[in-house]
Amino acid sequence: MFQFDSDLPSALERRGISRRTFLGFCAAMTATLALPPRFIPRVQAALEGADRPILIWREFQDCAGNTESLLRSSHPAIADIVLELFSLEYHETVMAGAGKQAEAAMEKVIQEQKGKYLAVIEGAIPMGQGGVFCTVGGRTALDIARQVCSNAAATIAVGACAWDGGLVRGAPNPTEAVGVQEAVPGIKVVNLGGCPHNAANTVAVLVHYLTFKELPALDQYGRPLFAYGNIIHDQCERRAHYDAGRFVEEWGDEGHRKGWCLYKMGCKGPQTNYNCPRVGWNDGTSWPVKSGHGCIGCAGPRFWDTMDPFYNRLPNVPGFGADVTAGQVGLGITAATALAFGAHGVASAVRAQVRPKEAVEKPDANKLPAETPAIQATEEKPE
Amino acid sequence: MAATIRPLGLSAEQPAEDRPKRDELVRVYVWELPVRAVHWLIFFSMIVLSVTGYYLHNPFFIVRGQAAFTLATMRFIHEVTAFVFSMAFVVRIYWFFVGNVYARWKAFVPVTRRQRRGLREMLKYYLFLRWVAPQEVGHNPLAAGMYLLVYLLFLVQILTGFALYEWVLGTEPLRTMFGWLPRLINIQYLRETHYFLMFISFAFTIHHVYSALLVAIEEANGLMGSIFSGHKFVPAKVVEQDAAEIEQDAAPNGEPAK
Repeated sequence: MFQFDSDLPSALERRGISRRTFLGFCAAMTATLALPPRFIPRVQAALEGADRPILIWREFQDCAGNTESLLRSSHPAIADIVLELFSLEYHETVMAGAGKQAEAAMEKVIQEQKGKYLAVIEGAIPMGQGGVFCTVGGRTALDIARQVCSNAAATIAVGACAWDGGLVRGAPNPTEAVGVQEAVPGIKVVNLGGCPHNAANTVAVLVHYLTFKELPALDQYGRPLFAYGNIIHDQCERRAHYDAGRFVEEWGDEGHRKGWCLYKMGCKGPQTNYNCPRVGWNDGTSWPVKSGHGCIGCAGPRFWDTMDPFYNRLPNVPGFGADVTAGQVGLGITAATALAFGAHGVASAVRAQVRPKEAVEKPDANKLPAETPAIQATEEKPE
Repeated sequence: MAATIRPLGLSAEQPAEDRPKRDELVRVYVWELPVRAVHWLIFFSMIVLSVTGYYLHNPFFIVRGQAAFTLATMRFIHEVTAFVFSMAFVVRIYWFFVGNVYARWKAFVPVTRRQRRGLREMLKYYLFLRWVAPQEVGHNPLAAGMYLLVYLLFLVQILTGFALYEWVLGTEPLRTMFGWLPRLINIQYLRETHYFLMFISFAFTIHHVYSALLVAIEEANGLMGSIFSGHKFVPAKVVEQDAAEIEQDAAPNGEPAK
């Protein structure tokens, strides 16, 4: 195995990453973590002094999209710095080893570094039929996850699938896929939902761990608050158009060209907690709403089922066709009620006309003929 | 008990010859001030909430100009009105326990024999199996049962509405009070429920206004005016019987109180 005989600054220098870039990275991570700038030297010192903690990155029911999101960042810094900061002992997509040797290397880490290494999980874990739908090296994903996660210092679930099953769990979920926290209950886990995860957030979690020796503050879904503490809608650059009431009505219309709010096009920004607008994608170049497409809520819980349809405000009404909205059903019920009571009104008017006089004068015996005894016939008249 | 609901002109101390005849209409104070106030608060806030809420779902007009602030204003009005609505609801719930016999919670749960009979007879009237509507001093038990469902609908609206509000705000004490809801039911379904129940409240309103008009015309009891003044006009014998029956219901072992 490749031995690291130098500290982080010289290792970065060998990769062609200048100190300026590294300090820029420290500043960016501090900002992502929503820490004030005075933490930059602390982050820098922690990263330089880190003794290369071990990462085991396992992929299960995934598309490697989260790996790609991390590695393909055009700006080289994030991936390079992570690769130098951590000792990535297992990662199917980037490791040189393969087969039994790779599995043996992972086994060795789990034995020797028990409770010290960090586990990163990408992809959902199938529970159906004993987990046979995803096996690596002859072992089920569930089996591997149990071993890797329960021996790790902490587990980081990257992407929607690893968090809560994501797309893989979408109805009808034939493999009974779930996220890591459900597959291996009781482990210490940070969920980084989103399809894919935002590499900046994931690395910021790692940086937080290295700097403060603990995981960042989490919300009720186990997601770091620095990234998932606010809804997208409240951070959106198109928010002013929403507040003003200026909306895109159809793709390519005047409002769309002018960059108005995509709310009416089914944007899920108001439902979704994420820091897309602040951190951005492709090294902060853009994010979906900035590029003119509504948010699909990929960072929301069970987004594949709950945020569907992506181009409507609200989910379809169960039991009705795909094109029937809640408003149409509601209007139908309202109209039916109006019709029913309108008809009742006409019938009541007719009743008032044909009502026999004695029925009004003697309401105690006002039944129609051949009815049950009059209401007060059995009652004692109170005096 | 009975003394509190016996209307003017029907008190036991009055000499028998001064008391109204059995078919004579007497003026009964039925709806106390909080009941009427809550009714109209809910009436106005439902209109405001429906208009602004529908705009929030589907902003159906677009204001031109740089200074436009339409949706944010709608949202602000919606949220403020939601607090008014919720407080009116809370007051009404409080009045379930301290109000008069027509406003108490017991009037809304049709469990006694008298209530079940009234419910059955009113249903027969609606289904054209009776010529004349049975007369009641307070709510007829069928209407009361419907109002109970409506209060339930209001409760669901308040819960889902505040859950949506908390989702944006994310602060205490709303987080503790309503934050549990989106964890049980996805926020999108809460939003849909909140929107859909607006139409159910429309349907109820149609029924409510129609039935009130129908009963007001058929019984000529001043029902429409009663929600303004609090007074209904009911034949003396109905008032007497109602009082006696309520007294009987209130008695511990079903015996009329002496």
